[in-house]
Amino acid sequence: MSIVFKRTLPIVIVFATALLFILEFFVTIPGIDFKSAATTVNNWGIILTAFTLAFGAVNLFIFQGRHILRRTKGQWPFSLWMLIVIVIFIVIGVSSGVSSGQYTWLYSASYFALSATVYSSLGFYMTSGIYRALRAKNIESGLLLIVGIIALARNAPAVAAGLPIIIPWEAWISAVPTTSAQRGIMIGAALGALALGIRTMIGRETGFLGKLTEAEKGG
Amino acid sequence: MVKESKTIWDRLEDIPREVLYGILIISFIMPMLFPIGFPVPISPEVQRWYNTIDNLPSGSVIMVDFGYSGGGEPELGPMAVAVYHHIFKKGGIKVVAMSTSNEGTLLFDKAIAEINPSQYGKQYGVDYIHIGYITGTESAMAAVGKSIRATTTTDYKGTPLDQYSIMNGVNEAKDFALLICYTTGGDQSEGWVRQWYTTYQTPYLCAVLAMMVPTMLPYQKAGQIVSLVSGAQAGQMELLVHVPARGIKSADVITITHLLCIALVVVGNIAYFGKKFSGGKQ
Repeated sequence: MSIVFKRTLPIVIVFATALLFILEFFVTIPGIDFKSAATTVNNWGIILTAFTLAFGAVNLFIFQGRHILRRTKGQWPFSLWMLIVIVIFIVIGVSSGVSSGQYTWLYSASYFALSATVYSSLGFYMTSGIYRALRAKNIESGLLLIVGIIALARNAPAVAAGLPIIIPWEAWISAVPTTSAQRGIMIGAALGALALGIRTMIGRETGFLGKLTEAEKGG
Repeated sequence: MVKESKTIWDRLEDIPREVLYGILIISFIMPMLFPIGFPVPISPEVQRWYNTIDNLPSGSVIMVDFGYSGGGEPELGPMAVAVYHHIFKKGGIKVVAMSTSNEGTLLFDKAIAEINPSQYGKQYGVDYIHIGYITGTESAMAAVGKSIRATTTTDYKGTPLDQYSIMNGVNEAKDFALLICYTTGGDQSEGWVRQWYTTYQTPYLCAVLAMMVPTMLPYQKAGQIVSLVSGAQAGQMELLVHVPARGIKSADVITITHLLCIALVVVGNIAYFGKKFSGGKQ
């Protein structure tokens, strides 16, 4: 494949698309309707994302199918079970509709119950983790212990009601140290994303193009 | 080889996890079976959320994103239900829902079954609707903000949107007086700030998992989110709306389990210092 199709054309498409959205947000030129162009491109993106979901399902069949055919030890029964479940969901979803009673029951009785259970089990790990981690072994861990106790007490409704003095303490911890630290992280990440976006637009970041040789990357 | 016997400090410092899990199970099953009715104070955030909806003028339209997954439903579902109760009780407000989570439509059905809108005389397609799961997360938010009909022409049941009276004159972000998002994902909670608040200044209420609150606080402090609450505060909303349900039931459990955690931390530290001062190894 020529370098034009492999590198130049994708970068031109990315540049033009990104530029369209930047212009749509920041620039108003009478007579030029950036909004409808951006809406159209955005909808293409949504269709492509929906397509990738279907593509992901096909990929799952290929990937798990290989395990079944090769009888991969300790894996293939799970792969088979997974494909059976996917087929059941697809058949019922397509034949009855995703808002049908059958599909809702299937979802509630299987996936919903299991995912809620898995998420809830985090509570056990957190309890064990809090007990083992919050020990005043030095000044830093002592501070963490104090903040942890205040946060726990504040988030217990009855404790907050019976001991209202902790409410402003927790509010200060949330508003000042937590928010300022989080802002630092967010601003840093946003600047990184901005730099990555500019590098991608001008073709300096080629990760999205897949595997390229050094010559194809173009320095 | 002689096995060194464990002191009381050793045992208290390293309580087996099976014991911790056992105590935790008991501490959340007991208040479920025998509710204690601990007091539940209303936090400023929940009160602000309630007031924001209460102050909406009649005829306002609200966009709601069911952006949570089944795993987060026990925490966020009760909040979504309580808020719908509030909106329907208040009356004169239309609610257009969508989902940025692929389980959102199913969880919407679950919430609506719990709310029973007909008790308030509310009808699907007239007072509330769900326009379906739209892929792409932030792309979906941006697209719906620009034009709902350019993004989807049907609701989640496949019926054309123009057949529903609720959709008359509703097509873009500017038509909405308020945005509400219930989500288990940072992409959604932060995405709505970028795609709707920043672009259209739509007032935004956000309910997330309790563990996500610290990451979202800067947006609330900056005024980009009117009120940020965790799903665990659903009991407070139920009290304000006068519809006690799952949220208020779990408030006792939250208090007991949090007290248990504090007690375990205290025990762990007493054991740590007891061992240290009795000359034991650290």
